[in-house]
Amino acid sequence: MARLIRTEKEVEGRYEEVWIVVDEDALDQWPAGPLTTVGQRVPRVDGLMRVRGQAPYTADLQLPGMLHTAVLRSPYARARVASIDLESARSAPGVRAAIGPADLDQLTDEPGYVGHAVAAVAADTFGQAHAAVERIAVQWDVLEPLLDPDEAVRQKSFVSDVAKYARGDFERGLAEADVVVEAEYRTQVVLHNSFETHQAVCHWEDDGITIYISTQYIWGIRASMAEQLGLPPDKVRVICHAMGGGFGAKNSPGDYTPIAAELAKRTGRPVRCALTRREENVAAGNRNATIQRLTAAATSDGTLVALGGDFINAIGFSGWSATTEGPMKMLYACDNVRTTQYPAKLNLPPMAAFRAPGFVEGTFGLECLLDELAAKLDIDPLELRRRNYADSDRTDDRPFSSKNLAECYRRAEPHWAKRDEVRARSKGPWKHGVGLASQIWYGGGGPPSYAWIRVGSDGRAQVVTAMQDIGTGTRTAMAQIAAEELGIPFDHVQVSLGDSARGPFASISAGSSTVPSMGPAVRSAAADAKRQIIEIAAQRFHLEERVLDLRNGQIVSADGGSWPLTEVTGLLESGQILGKGARGPNPAGMVVLTFGVQVAEVAVDVETGEVRVDKIVAIHDVGRVINALGAESQVEGGIIQGIGHTLSEERIVDPATGSILTRTLDAYRIPTIADVPEIVTDLIDIPDEHLTNLGSKGLGEPPIIPVAAAIANAIRDATGADVRSLPITREEMLRALREAEARQKERSGAPAAV
Amino acid sequence: MPELRINGETHSFDAPVGRSLAHVLREDLGFTGTKVACGEGHCGACTVQLDGVPTLSCITLVHTVGTREVTTIEGLRDHPLVAAFVRTDAVQCGFCTPGQVVSAAALVEANASPSQDEIRHAMSGNLCRCGTYPKIEEAIRTWQD
Amino acid sequence: MELLQPSSSEEATGALGNGSRALAGGTELVPLMRDGLVHVDRLVYIRDVVPRGIDGSRIGAGTTLAELEVDPQIPQALREACTQAASPQLRSMGTIGGNLLQATRCWYWRLGFDCWLHGGEKCFARDGAHREHAIFGNEQCASAHPSDIAAALLALGATLRTTRREFAVAELYRLPTDDDRSVTTLAPDELILELDVPAPDASTYLKAMDRRKWSFPIVGVAAARLDGEIRIALAGVAPIPWTLDSPAALEDATPLPGTAYKVEIARALVRRALEAI
Repeated sequence: MARLIRTEKEVEGRYEEVWIVVDEDALDQWPAGPLTTVGQRVPRVDGLMRVRGQAPYTADLQLPGMLHTAVLRSPYARARVASIDLESARSAPGVRAAIGPADLDQLTDEPGYVGHAVAAVAADTFGQAHAAVERIAVQWDVLEPLLDPDEAVRQKSFVSDVAKYARGDFERGLAEADVVVEAEYRTQVVLHNSFETHQAVCHWEDDGITIYISTQYIWGIRASMAEQLGLPPDKVRVICHAMGGGFGAKNSPGDYTPIAAELAKRTGRPVRCALTRREENVAAGNRNATIQRLTAAATSDGTLVALGGDFINAIGFSGWSATTEGPMKMLYACDNVRTTQYPAKLNLPPMAAFRAPGFVEGTFGLECLLDELAAKLDIDPLELRRRNYADSDRTDDRPFSSKNLAECYRRAEPHWAKRDEVRARSKGPWKHGVGLASQIWYGGGGPPSYAWIRVGSDGRAQVVTAMQDIGTGTRTAMAQIAAEELGIPFDHVQVSLGDSARGPFASISAGSSTVPSMGPAVRSAAADAKRQIIEIAAQRFHLEERVLDLRNGQIVSADGGSWPLTEVTGLLESGQILGKGARGPNPAGMVVLTFGVQVAEVAVDVETGEVRVDKIVAIHDVGRVINALGAESQVEGGIIQGIGHTLSEERIVDPATGSILTRTLDAYRIPTIADVPEIVTDLIDIPDEHLTNLGSKGLGEPPIIPVAAAIANAIRDATGADVRSLPITREEMLRALREAEARQKERSGAPAAV
Repeated sequence: MPELRINGETHSFDAPVGRSLAHVLREDLGFTGTKVACGEGHCGACTVQLDGVPTLSCITLVHTVGTREVTTIEGLRDHPLVAAFVRTDAVQCGFCTPGQVVSAAALVEANASPSQDEIRHAMSGNLCRCGTYPKIEEAIRTWQD
Repeated sequence: MELLQPSSSEEATGALGNGSRALAGGTELVPLMRDGLVHVDRLVYIRDVVPRGIDGSRIGAGTTLAELEVDPQIPQALREACTQAASPQLRSMGTIGGNLLQATRCWYWRLGFDCWLHGGEKCFARDGAHREHAIFGNEQCASAHPSDIAAALLALGATLRTTRREFAVAELYRLPTDDDRSVTTLAPDELILELDVPAPDASTYLKAMDRRKWSFPIVGVAAARLDGEIRIALAGVAPIPWTLDSPAALEDATPLPGTAYKVEIARALVRRALEAI
């Protein structure tokens, strides 16, 4: 029965209270451990299509008469458009339409960052559109940009309210402490660089619009564009069958979708608006930089008695302020915590969610600080974490729906115990060491999400839901769940998704929510279909429903009878069995979180500052694992992205003008295949008994969270140097080494190095 | 009209000097398996073979290809590497993957059993943002299985 | 734009100059044309008219870096420089002649800032973001020359033969001046045809990068020993490939605040390179 509930909805750590109609989730969870197909290593169902280059990306779409767009983006970080002349663009060869600030909300005459969209041109070819944009004459009044986060805090330039949090008495905790450490950590801006750039093709047909778009959220695009265009949502059809990466940056329509829609409307033609790689790196969002000024205090037995921090999120011109302070509030059982978070608004490109926004940054600060504290206390870093283990969510004293971080720590032990062996590999300038860091994050998903399933007379099933597969293997995981519940072979299930006109509402693919939100809906749809099949079989074979089951494509009875499924479904001819399912509610009064720990082995060349990551062991608790192979890929991908964030990736800004200098992939350096360490994936794979009919949590984000801190802590173990700023370039590594040398000399009584 | 030899067949094309091979393949001739991710020679997504040599089609001017044989992913669809990539899950979003296969096919053609170092050396110009690298290495190591 | 396909180097040079540019591998020129940093009316495709291949100490300018990196005849410093340069595809496309003529990776220059090197008034990098920039010869322009191969050839004492002359690789480069902002001495209608690379007693090339592969040098150090004489050259440290008269000359570096770390890296790599030969 449908039930109306008031519940918290969480995406990327942002909570809101909403009314949701949910169906009861009546199914018992499957027993723990690998099943027939769920939990197995299953190659992805759309793998062949993707590897062969046959997957239909938005970038590959060609519609008859389609026009191409180029966007005029502000070359200034802060300016006013005194005048703009679009006529010269309109008269350029091939141009069909040109729009400016007066024509569309997303085009501005007061740009607030380099890359802010000001005007756009649609032409027969991209080259013509680009040439026409160059002809647009603009008179700019250039204004002084605000680029420094600390200055923004002084000026109270914020994108939202300053967020203050306190529990217990921070000052009293400090007074009780035997050891206090204070340090400033900095994290850089990193750029998503999805390989398919942000893009949409808009096509007005009849009285509605079809939007082909590279997106993580078909239904969010539908809702947002319907509102912007003043259309009933069902007049907006959103299609995304394959997309080339998002990592959090493709959750909304951006500027390119409204631009394409407006130009399509004006020209009566389909219009593509695709960002170039360089536009992608200025105007498609980024992981914002942070400054974290942190304090940790403990008694001599290692009990944390105070944690505190000022966190500046250097948001850019717009975006939202992620909870960089989240790990400090949630990861440990500390009674006295005080944090302040400043969402600095700057004349720099806007932030967008990037794989565990806030927690990647905050975990770097907190988990490095913990190791600095452990060193001062002379307590083993793993032991320090165990002594401050949180048994419940300390922000509001709710129980965890499940938490197996202690088991993660236990499994980390043998890797952690290799420290002496690893250090002994040090030779000449190369110093080896081991570090670890814990991880806490959301990833429980939630309602609403729906799936349909249809079973034909051939006994094969099709899952239908209007979700998107952003490259995480969603199609495959959903097929596994449906096959498992229906008791039919995996290859007898197809998954149809990617089209808002063909299937019910489905969750955003962000916040590690796809499997925990959609999986239970698919299972419940499959159960609905299976119940009907059993009902029909009972009538066909004159048996009671309770003695019948469906296994491996056979109807089986308790007394040993067995019939191929098609003996029942074959009766249907063109008829179909239709199942429908919905995601039930999250467990009331509980907090659903993911946990983990990573152990990193690194080597540092102390003469040249080169850091080499040799190995990362990733142990995560994300509930039941659906696809062991796909899960491993997610872990590896998160770690490799994390290594990029830790060592080589940084958006660089010209300090005078606010212009972005690293727009190209030679200057902005994502890891290559040669930068990959040995990666060991170990997933706890214990279903969360309180969470849905699956017990599965999300996995997309957890693996990237502890990477930077684990590496930085391993560097400290190897060299004694405290790296506190990401990325750990050679410059930062050498600075930290020299600082450590000076400290060492001071301690040993020798004069400090100059 | 100038011609290209692509995957064993001859195609004529009509393009101004300055147009890239990638553009002609994708926009004019419909070989959309070749992807363009950066468009300036930095990422390897657009890799095709010219006479067997991995080449960045986004910065290759189409008029300079001449009589060299162009091999795109469409010409490698039944290469055993394709099945190996699928089997080992060496594909996530898939946008860089055709280029990876094209580079890998040239590698195994020259060296059927490359070492880890050889794989990393030959594949370092094909970036992957999803981080499928460990699986790509496995796919190339086991392509003959 | 038109594309000329000459049948001889003489025909090629006859067509060069006056808005015509020579195109070989295209890895540098094609992106620069697209970005509007180089204006070309006519491309002269020289791939088939410039010598290609290796014959003892002589290397055709049209030989690709990929061909060089697997050739056992060439000196180790050059082979290591080729192996560590760029990406496999770029090495397969790019020629050694073209590599010597590549422009800086300075982001201000590449993004078309009206900087001193482009003929403007000031170097934006000196007061701006410059961690990848120069520690030598950087008074006017802080750009860093990215060619690994040029550093190797400098250390090896290679000579070039062009359509006009024969000269030491060192003479190919000049620090740009107020009057002439170019970094090479090559005439607009002059083509590099061949290199002569004497065999050293020992040589090596060491490179510090931000990634393990496919990166331009933070610092590249080439060292060669020939008849008891040792020569050292650096990549990524000056607007042109830089000859280091002695290890001690590193102390004369003029780093910017953000490039001081390069001096430290260079010290370590120079010492290691000398130990290796």
